[in-house]
Amino acid sequence: MAGVLGAAIALVGCSPVSEVAEPGETAAASTFPDKDIRLIIQANPGGGSDLSSRALASELEKILGVSVIPENMPGASGALAMEFVAQQPADGYVIGFGPSEIAMLNTTQNANVLPENYDLLGQIMLAPGVISVGADSPYETLQDLIDASKDSALTVANSGAGSIWEAATLGLAEETGAQFTTVAYDGGATAVAAAASGEAVAAVSGAGEALAQKGAVRVLAVLNDETYFNLPDVPTAEEAIGTAAVYGGWGGIYAPAGLPDDVHSILEDAIAQAVETDTYQAFQKQSGNMVVYRDSAEFTDFVNEQFTLFQKLLG
Amino acid sequence: MNALTDGIASLLDIQVLIGMIMGLGLGFLVGAFPGITATMAVALASGFTLTLEPVQGLAVLLTIYVAANFGDRVPAILVNTPGTPASIATTLDGYPMAKQGRAGLALTISAIVSAIGILASLVVFAAAAIPIATIARDYFKSPELFALVVFGLTVMISISSKSILKGVLAGLFGLALGTVGVFPATGDQRLTFGSLDLWEGFNFIAVIIGLFGIAELFDQLLTHHKSKIRPISSLGRWWPNKAELKQIRRPLGVSGLVGLGVGLIPAAGGDIAGLIGWDRAKRISKHPEEFGKGSIEGITASDTASSATLGGSLTTTMALGVPGDSVMAIMIGSMMIWGIAPGPDLFTRRPDLVVSITGIMLIATVLSLGLSLVRMKGMVKLLDLPHHYLWSAILIFCIIGTYATTNSLYTVGTMMVFGVIGVLMKRTGFPAGPVVLGLLLGPLAEENLARTLTILPTKPFIDVISPITIALLLLSLLSLVLPIIRRHRQARAERSTTLAEALLDRDAAQARTPDDAPSASKK
Repeated sequence: MAGVLGAAIALVGCSPVSEVAEPGETAAASTFPDKDIRLIIQANPGGGSDLSSRALASELEKILGVSVIPENMPGASGALAMEFVAQQPADGYVIGFGPSEIAMLNTTQNANVLPENYDLLGQIMLAPGVISVGADSPYETLQDLIDASKDSALTVANSGAGSIWEAATLGLAEETGAQFTTVAYDGGATAVAAAASGEAVAAVSGAGEALAQKGAVRVLAVLNDETYFNLPDVPTAEEAIGTAAVYGGWGGIYAPAGLPDDVHSILEDAIAQAVETDTYQAFQKQSGNMVVYRDSAEFTDFVNEQFTLFQKLLG
Repeated sequence: MNALTDGIASLLDIQVLIGMIMGLGLGFLVGAFPGITATMAVALASGFTLTLEPVQGLAVLLTIYVAANFGDRVPAILVNTPGTPASIATTLDGYPMAKQGRAGLALTISAIVSAIGILASLVVFAAAAIPIATIARDYFKSPELFALVVFGLTVMISISSKSILKGVLAGLFGLALGTVGVFPATGDQRLTFGSLDLWEGFNFIAVIIGLFGIAELFDQLLTHHKSKIRPISSLGRWWPNKAELKQIRRPLGVSGLVGLGVGLIPAAGGDIAGLIGWDRAKRISKHPEEFGKGSIEGITASDTASSATLGGSLTTTMALGVPGDSVMAIMIGSMMIWGIAPGPDLFTRRPDLVVSITGIMLIATVLSLGLSLVRMKGMVKLLDLPHHYLWSAILIFCIIGTYATTNSLYTVGTMMVFGVIGVLMKRTGFPAGPVVLGLLLGPLAEENLARTLTILPTKPFIDVISPITIALLLLSLLSLVLPIIRRHRQARAERSTTLAEALLDRDAAQARTPDDAPSASKK
C-alpha cells in the first residue's frame, strides 16, 4: 500500500525528497493543491508588482489546476503583506509576491521581515537599474560623471529614501569613490524627470522609467551584469568604468517558512514552468522587465546576500 | 493630415464604441460611489483591457477617467460626501445649495462647467502638449512647487468662512495629521507608534469621507426632527437662468486657468485644483460673502478647476512620460504593455494615436455631460427615500468603499474616527475644509522643501531659488496678510462708526444736558 502511494507521489510530485518523507505527509501532499491558492500582492492594483504577479498567477493556474487568486494587500511599503504571509499556516495555500523590499524593510524600517521567515520559492523577474543624466548634460559617460563628482558632490535623484535605487546610488558611490548626494523623489518617474529638467545632475532608476522619458534623458550605464535588451548600445557599469555594479528591482514568490518538502517542490516547479511560458515572457518583455529566473536554493542565497548588502548600505 | 484621418478612423470601430459605453457606465458608478476612486477603477479595468487593441483599451480607460469626474459630483452635492477626492471643493457650495432646495440647479451647473473645464484643457493638450509640458517641467522644480504648495495652503484662510482663527487651527490640525507616517525624504518613521497601519500616514480617502460624509450623517442623527425631514428632495429649478449664466463667466475663466496649471504639475490633481480654484474665484468675486453658503459662482469655480486638471494631467503624461496624476500612472503601465509608451516620441512616432486619445476624451466628455443631464432626475429621486433608509444606505456604501481602498478594516475604522472628529468640529464651529487642505498639502510642501534644501548647498543660491519661487512666496504672504488686515480695518471701521455714533449721542446728550440741567435745577 505504502509502495503504491510512494510511486504515485514520485509521479505527481517529481520531488527528489519525497522518498524520505513520512507516509502521512506524502498522503496529504499527493492531493496538493486541492483548493484555491491566494497570491498576496504587497502593492496596489495597476503597479509593476501587481501586473507581474497577475501575469504569473494566470500561468500558475493552468499548471496547478486550481485557481490562483491575486489579492492586493497594500500598506507599510509591503511590510503589512509580508508579515501577514509569515503568520499564515505553512501549507502552500498562501503565497506572496516579494520585491526587493523583502530584503530591505528590516534594515530601513526595523520591520519583522527577515529572509528566514520565508520559504523563498523562486525569482521571476528583474527590472535592471540604470543611471541617466539630462539630455543636455555635459557628462557623456559614467566615467565623466564620477570624475566630476570628485571635486564636489553631485546630486543624484532616486524614487525615495530607503528605496532600492537609493541603495544603488550609495553602492555605486562606495565602489567608485564618487561623491553622490542622494535626493529622494516621489517615485521613479519624477526622479528621472528631475534629471531631465536639470534639478538633479543624474538619476538612478529602473530601466523602464528612464526609457519612458528617453529623448529627455541620456542613459549612461546599466547597473547589471548583462546589456539591457531595450538599450543595446548602453554599456553595463563594468564595461563603462571597469567596476561591476549590479542593482535591480527584482521580484520573486515566497511562502511562510517551513512548507512540507513536497509542497515546496510542487510550487517551485510550477513557478519555474510558468516563467518559461511564452505569454509570461512576452508580458515581461513588453513591460520593459527582464525575465531572470533563480530556483529556490539560488534565490534564497541571493536574498540573503542582498539582505547583508542593504544592511551595509542603508543600515 | 494623414494622422488626423487615421486617428479619427480608428475610433470608428464598434468595439471602441462598446468600450466607451462600458467605461461610461462604470465611470459614473465608481465616481458616485464614495471611496472607490477613478484610480482604483482604472487599475482594475486595466487587467481586462490588456488583451484588447490599444485604441479599444484606451477608450475604456479614458472614458472611466472622464465619467468618474462627473459621477463624483453627485454625492458631493446631494449628501455632502465627495465621491472621489476631486470633488472635495464641490461640497463647499454644492451641499448648501442642495439644502436650500437648489440641488437640481447645482447638479446642472456642475455638469456643464465640468464639461467646459475638460474641453478647454483638451485644447491645450491637442494644440501644444510638448512645449507646454516641457515648460512646466523645467520651470516648476521642487523650490517652485514648494512655493506653489505654500500658496495653496493660504486657501485655508478663505475656506474658514466664519472665524479665521478656527480655520487656521483646523488647518494646523490637518498639517499635524500630515506628518504621521514614514517621511519620504529621509525614510524615518514619525508618530507611527510602531503600528504598521500608520506607516503610510492616515488614508486620505478615509479621512475625507469621515470628515464630510460620516460627520454629516452623525449630525443628521443628532439633529433628527420630524419637521426637518427631506430638506433636499425639493429640487427646485434645473436650468440656470440668464442672470445665473452671466454670474458663471468670471469664476469659470479664473478657475479654469488654475485647473490647467495644477493639472500640468505632476502629483497635483483635481482635489488641490478644486480648492485653489474656489479660493481664487472667491477673491475676485463681487459677492465673496456668498461663497460656502450655496454660491453658484463657488460651485462653478470648484468644478471647473478640478475638471480642467484632466487635460493638464494628460498633457504631462503623454508628452513627458511623467504621470500627471494617479490614474495616469496606471495608464502609463498599460500603454507600455501595448508597446505605445508615452513620452515625447509618442507625438512624432504615433501622431494618429494622439488624435485618437483627444477624440476619445472629447466624445467621453460629451457623452458624460449628456448622461449627467438626462439621468440626474433619477439619481435625485433616491433622495425621496425616507431619511433613515437613505442615510443607512450611505453608511453602508461608505464602509464598502473605504474597505475597498486597502482591503483592510483598519481603513473603515479611520473613517469612523474621523466621522466623530468631524461632527465634533461641526458642533464647535471648526470648518473641515482646512483639515483636508493641511493633510493634502502639508506632506507635499515638506517633501519639496526637503529636496530644495538638499540641492541648495550644491548650487549657487540664485540657480535654485528662482524669481518664480520668490514671487509665489510673496504672493502667499499677501494672501495671508491682506484678508486679516481687511477684516481688521472693517472691524475698526465698524467700531469707529459705532464710536462716532456713540460720540454723537453723547454730544447730543451733552448738548441736551445744559438745557435740561438748568431746567432740572429749576424744578
